[in-house]
Amino acid sequence: MLKQASKTFFWASLLLMVISTFALYFYVSWLLKQEVEEELFSAEARIESALMAGKHPSSLAPIIEVVEVDHPQATFTKDTVIYDPSQNEMELFRELSTYKNINSKFYKISVRVLVVESNQILWAIILSYIVIIFLVFIFQFYLNKSYNKKLWYPFFHNLEQMKTFSLLSKKPIQFLDSEILEFSELNKEITLLTVKVKDDYENLKQYTEDVSHELQTPLAIIQAKIENIINDQTVTEVQFNQLTSIQKDIQRLTQLNKRLTLLTKLENQQFTHKENIDITAIIDQIIANFSEISSIALSLQKTNNIVVSMDPYLAEILCTNIISNAIKYNTNSEPITIVANEMAITVSNFGLKPIANPQHLFTRFYRETKEIKSTGLGLAIVKKICDLYGYHVSYKHVNDHHCFSIDFVTAPASNE
Amino acid sequence: MKLLIAEDELSLQQSMVTYLEKDGNVCECASNYEEAIYKVSLYDYDVIILDINLITGSGLDVLKQLKKEKKKAGIIIISANNSLSDKLEGLDLGADDYITKPFHLAELNSRIKAVLRRGKFGGDESITFNEIRIDTRAKSAYIADKPMTLTRKEYDLLLFFVTNKNRVLSKEIIAEHLWGDNSDLADNFDFIYVHINNLRKKLTFEGAKYIKTAYGSGYKFTEE
Repeated sequence: MLKQASKTFFWASLLLMVISTFALYFYVSWLLKQEVEEELFSAEARIESALMAGKHPSSLAPIIEVVEVDHPQATFTKDTVIYDPSQNEMELFRELSTYKNINSKFYKISVRVLVVESNQILWAIILSYIVIIFLVFIFQFYLNKSYNKKLWYPFFHNLEQMKTFSLLSKKPIQFLDSEILEFSELNKEITLLTVKVKDDYENLKQYTEDVSHELQTPLAIIQAKIENIINDQTVTEVQFNQLTSIQKDIQRLTQLNKRLTLLTKLENQQFTHKENIDITAIIDQIIANFSEISSIALSLQKTNNIVVSMDPYLAEILCTNIISNAIKYNTNSEPITIVANEMAITVSNFGLKPIANPQHLFTRFYRETKEIKSTGLGLAIVKKICDLYGYHVSYKHVNDHHCFSIDFVTAPASNE
Repeated sequence: MKLLIAEDELSLQQSMVTYLEKDGNVCECASNYEEAIYKVSLYDYDVIILDINLITGSGLDVLKQLKKEKKKAGIIIISANNSLSDKLEGLDLGADDYITKPFHLAELNSRIKAVLRRGKFGGDESITFNEIRIDTRAKSAYIADKPMTLTRKEYDLLLFFVTNKNRVLSKEIIAEHLWGDNSDLADNFDFIYVHINNLRKKLTFEGAKYIKTAYGSGYKFTEE
């Protein structure tokens, strides 16, 4: 902003300088012309009075020429170029010629003044004017700049403070006081606003924790009671199957609850811990774990190890979710391949039809089919984790395979 | 074993008591913070099951009190909050284990036994069930003093069965114990059958027919 102000000042001053220089030029040249003319008239008057007194002033060409003429003509002034013997070159003169009747004789009196001199004066004035105004301008420019800097310092300082403002830090935002009324008012309003935002954030966090707590305790009670019923030895096989089916649903609810809590935590940016994580090592481990549960063949083809800086817990969730998604939606028990190349991983699983609405793929609770039981949050969590670190996640359907890619190259923050 | 269950939700508290007393444990209960503090300062317990969110105070404060009085009890924290920081705080304060609601009672039971086994309570680090002996330090099992060759999952499965003997375990509980959150991945539990059948074959081969099917789809580890 200061730059902008300086720029405006610079151009305005420049324009003013040019206009005033022109004005000065014309004014001074007009003034000088007046002066020259006055001089010519007074010289002419002196010659006239000398002639009247009977003296015949000798001609002093090209300055003064007195000639007797037969007929008078009108008085005129003009610029004329004549040869100046003293300078031995053609020079520009201003000339006044009058015809006077003195002692019944007609005289033509021509008086001339060298214009060069007045021109030089004119240029000297203009030049010194430019130099002075230029110096004033430079001085003003820097004075203004430093003064503005001082004046605006609290504003810029506070702006920096606001940029570093984080809901996670416990410290309140510290503003520099300013004597300028507008600035101190702005500070007051922003302080109020941040306090309110912080309060709301705390409330929301508390709410999430409360909901999570309140949901999990009843679930724990239901689950514990079911286990005791099963061990009562009075249940029938049908009842047992129904009870274990309830257990399954409780597990789903628990998963849903956990994932929702995780999503909220991600949205609240509560993960600030960072470590160097080898993504390929995590994938190897996940493949080992999953191969015990699932009959689908999983393989990792890597050209290099991918090491990123992120929360280790989130790194594991990210990889687990994207791979378990592939397992869940894999058809025909085809093998699943994971390719790690440069800074990206691509997970591909078999699926004849491309996804109908890829734009909704990462939306929470979006499910392509109702056949597969899922919380509908797995990919939403993947997207949120990627967003948190600036990674890019994308979907493509290539050769009857669903391909999900995560590019771990950190994109420049989009909220600039 | 003498257990203290500090849990403010009475129905959950009673369910835990019912399940845990079947093994011949003596269970005492505390339903709020004051009661918990009072009981831990008066009596000695082998294991204390401590809910973090006791209605009138924090279970973590009870934990601090226990550590101040240098009580030797094993401590398992129960929390409805599965945040990592809570877990770490509890373990840092000296808790032996941490379990998040909702949990299976069978899971809680096996955690209690694991805490008891750890040497510092003078417990033996091996469990025996008739001719089967499990050495939890070496993570190996013996049948009639003959070492068994088990995969890691088969070993975990055997340990889970033995610690929850005479109880019906559904496939859901077993899957969750072995694979945690990932157990929802496979929609059918075929993979469980594979592991259980392998273990069962190895036991039956030595004449130990303890893994019984219950209600068609559940399992029970029992002599009967």
